[in-house]
Amino acid sequence: MNLPALLDCVSSSSCVVTQVSTGLIIGMLLFLVASGLTLIFGVLGVINFTHGSFYMLGAYFSLTAYRVTGSYFDAVIAGALGVAVFGVVFERLFISPVYNSNVLMQLLVCYAFILILDDVVKIVWGTDFQTMGMPATFALPPIHLFGGFVPPFYVFLTGLTVAAAFSLSVLVNKTRFGKLVRAAAVNRQMLSCLGVNTSLLYAAVFGLGSLLAGAAGALAAPVRSMSPEMGFSILIESFIVTVIGGMGSIIGAFFAAVLVGIIRAFGSIGYPLFTDGLMFAFMALVLLVKPTGLFGRKLA
Amino acid sequence: MQGRLTIKRLTKRFGGVAAADNVNLDFAPGSLTAIIGPNGAGKTTLFNLIAGRLKPDAGEVWLSGENVVGLPEVEIVRRGLSRAFQIASLFPQFTVEQALAAAVHARWRQSHSILRRFPLPSARARAREVLELVGLEAVAGQASQQLSHGDQKLLDIALALALEPRVLLLDEPTAGMGREARWQMIEKVHNLWSQQSLTLIFIEHDIDIVFQIAQSVRVLHYGKVLAEGSPREVRGNPAVIEAYLGATSASVPV
Amino acid sequence: MALSGCLVVIALALTLDNPQFADFVLRLSIFGLYALSLNLLVGYAGLVSFGHAMFFGFGAYAFGLLMQTGLVSIPLAFVVSIAGAAVLAVSVGALCIRLKDIYFGILTLAFQMLLHAVILSWVSLTGGDQGLQGGIPRPPFLGVDLGNPKQFFVLACVFFFGLVLLVRQMVESPFGYSLRMVRDNPERALALGLSVQRYKLAAFVISGTIAANAGVLMSLYVSGAYPNFAYWTLSGDGILMIMLGGMTVFLGPIAGAGIFLMLNGIITRTTEYSGLVMGIVLLCVVLGLRRGVLDFVFERCGPWAVRRLSREG
Ligand SMILES: Nc1ncnc2c1ncn2[C@@H]1O[C@H](COP(=O)(O)OP(=O)(O)OP(=O)(O)O)[C@@H](O)[C@H]1O
Ligand SMILES: [Mg+2]
Repeated sequence: MNLPALLDCVSSSSCVVTQVSTGLIIGMLLFLVASGLTLIFGVLGVINFTHGSFYMLGAYFSLTAYRVTGSYFDAVIAGALGVAVFGVVFERLFISPVYNSNVLMQLLVCYAFILILDDVVKIVWGTDFQTMGMPATFALPPIHLFGGFVPPFYVFLTGLTVAAAFSLSVLVNKTRFGKLVRAAAVNRQMLSCLGVNTSLLYAAVFGLGSLLAGAAGALAAPVRSMSPEMGFSILIESFIVTVIGGMGSIIGAFFAAVLVGIIRAFGSIGYPLFTDGLMFAFMALVLLVKPTGLFGRKLA
Repeated sequence: MQGRLTIKRLTKRFGGVAAADNVNLDFAPGSLTAIIGPNGAGKTTLFNLIAGRLKPDAGEVWLSGENVVGLPEVEIVRRGLSRAFQIASLFPQFTVEQALAAAVHARWRQSHSILRRFPLPSARARAREVLELVGLEAVAGQASQQLSHGDQKLLDIALALALEPRVLLLDEPTAGMGREARWQMIEKVHNLWSQQSLTLIFIEHDIDIVFQIAQSVRVLHYGKVLAEGSPREVRGNPAVIEAYLGATSASVPV
Repeated sequence: MALSGCLVVIALALTLDNPQFADFVLRLSIFGLYALSLNLLVGYAGLVSFGHAMFFGFGAYAFGLLMQTGLVSIPLAFVVSIAGAAVLAVSVGALCIRLKDIYFGILTLAFQMLLHAVILSWVSLTGGDQGLQGGIPRPPFLGVDLGNPKQFFVLACVFFFGLVLLVRQMVESPFGYSLRMVRDNPERALALGLSVQRYKLAAFVISGTIAANAGVLMSLYVSGAYPNFAYWTLSGDGILMIMLGGMTVFLGPIAGAGIFLMLNGIITRTTEYSGLVMGIVLLCVVLGLRRGVLDFVFERCGPWAVRRLSREG
């Protein structure tokens, strides 16, 4: 534990700005991954443990696209759509057969894919760390803010994620698709009886969730180095976010992601070795006080 | 006092619905009482309140001279109250005999024993006795989930009986049965009651059955006790006729 | 039956005198025990824990640390570590069993990761990510010298079979049947007068304590303790083992541990992409058999084999 360092940082505005912006970035990426996770759980009742690997795939897809086209925007599109397509195929072929099995079966299918995808990435992209570098579009001088400096890309990432969160909540709460999604979350049979193609709906939701993870990977690419293990840690963290926010709640995921991001950023100064422990302790506390999470609905 | 069940001012609300509304009832030791009432009248809720599964908002439940409100469900079971459920509640993978033996273990406080093998020979013998009592000996070796609907209801009752209760609550023992089977079941229930010294309270929708075997009847309606007395008295009660016939014409007394 | 099996293995290993085989048998007893204890919780009590490695790791570290003080004998350190694990299991279990289904699992995972974080960050005590340094001494006791590989092997096997028999007794006892009742229909169990929460807690504590036994054995065997003993991957491996072997057959988890260790051994020796192969094998088992291997075998061989093995096993 390093309390003096933490106090030092808190008393300096430039350090606070740096840490808060770092925390926000972590939070935004976490939200993108966790919102997909929570959406899939809320509607399909499946915890997609491969979600971290989807994030990783998004990053690598965008890396390749960036190297080929040289355009970062193409890279983001490639990462998001590529993973969305992959997610739909994955859901149809491997997840749908275990919808009615117990949780452990679903868990194992996901686990198998975590192992497989990690190795596939190793085979295709190699085991070494890879970096995309800051795309030319964002290679601008940092923005001066509250006595600190913030890279422009951070602002872009945060803005984009907030926009995504907003569109997502409009999509779920205001559109016909959202109505179907919410209905499916409550009673799938009923929806089938009403003539809705629920298989299609499930695939769409899974695809949307995967798209978010892929986009997160692509957005992380300029600021994170890539390695075949990158899926694991984000999986655990986004899982914590999902649980703290309330499984199935998108607003919950947003707040929890920001919270965890900030804890992470400041914890890495004060308790570098214990930040994981801190997050798990926080999660345990939330579970014990309110098992359905901060924003979770009461379970029937 | 043993085997007397007295309910005083029992009240339970679910949001706006009063499933039990100031209910006062008394069941004498060794009596056989039917509870009737339309769907949603609060009959099952009353059982849940008595058995301690639900906590009442107000009121008292006196079992053999002790107020049991607030006690955990298992404590109430240990004080001699057991029940069978509206939808048979079983252990699907257990054979009939295993399930009963397990209930006997529970009765004998042997369920946590680690040093011996399940089932204890004595518990098995006792399980056999209960099986014969309800007439399930022919299917003793079958898995509970493979039993016919009627046998499942019987097994549920047998599980409750294996606890040697002083007060036995049966929630619609004839639910979902054909006419013939209903009468057979109710005859069995009646025999069980007359052979054991227990206070038996059962919920029943079939008025003919109720008037045939019950000593007395309580009518519940919207959580309130609408009428009580002998079958003859209840049958002639205008409020009851109103509740049963009037309910369809939507003139609902609240 | 089990005893004779034990003797056969011991004799085999001693006569073969093949270190690789002995190593496999020892790891099998450690992880078999670990998987068996997890299945007591998952298979029999229906409590799916994602944090079982917490007890494995705790046992290993507690024992290793006690032995490194140089003040206690092996049996004393053993008893104290197991008692400590039981205390840990009671306190964590009392919190976890308040939750149901997936939430129970997540909370166990949280506590396990908490222990992992403590191990990582308390460097002065645990050696942090390097693990317990300096080896674990094995002073002779009661005429047993665990420094001697043969004696260690025999003792570990006896220990393993003793615990397996104990668990066997437990699942076949009235207590074991009460756990099944709590798993299959907790409402009915409650209405029969079983204190459901107490049974869940008991299962949690017993299962955790047995996992701690496996942890102690592990730390003795590898003469150390490492943070990954308390990491979620080991919890996951435990679930993998019981799913591979089968949850409904008593010996399933042990078979699963064996399959897992063999697979792992073969795969890591033959290919550099072990995850790929392991993942594909897993998919085949899960989507192909849709149950553990022993479950599958027993369903195929019919009730005859089930009766035979459950009588003798
Ligand atoms: N757990 C609960 N939560 C909310 N409302 C409940 C609950 N249990 C019962 N109710 C409501 O209380 C009322 C009484 O229900 P109850 O099940 O006791 O009726 P009943 O007389 O047993 O009916 P039936 O003949 O259909 O079995 C109903 O309006 C029901 O919807
Ligand atoms: Mg009812």
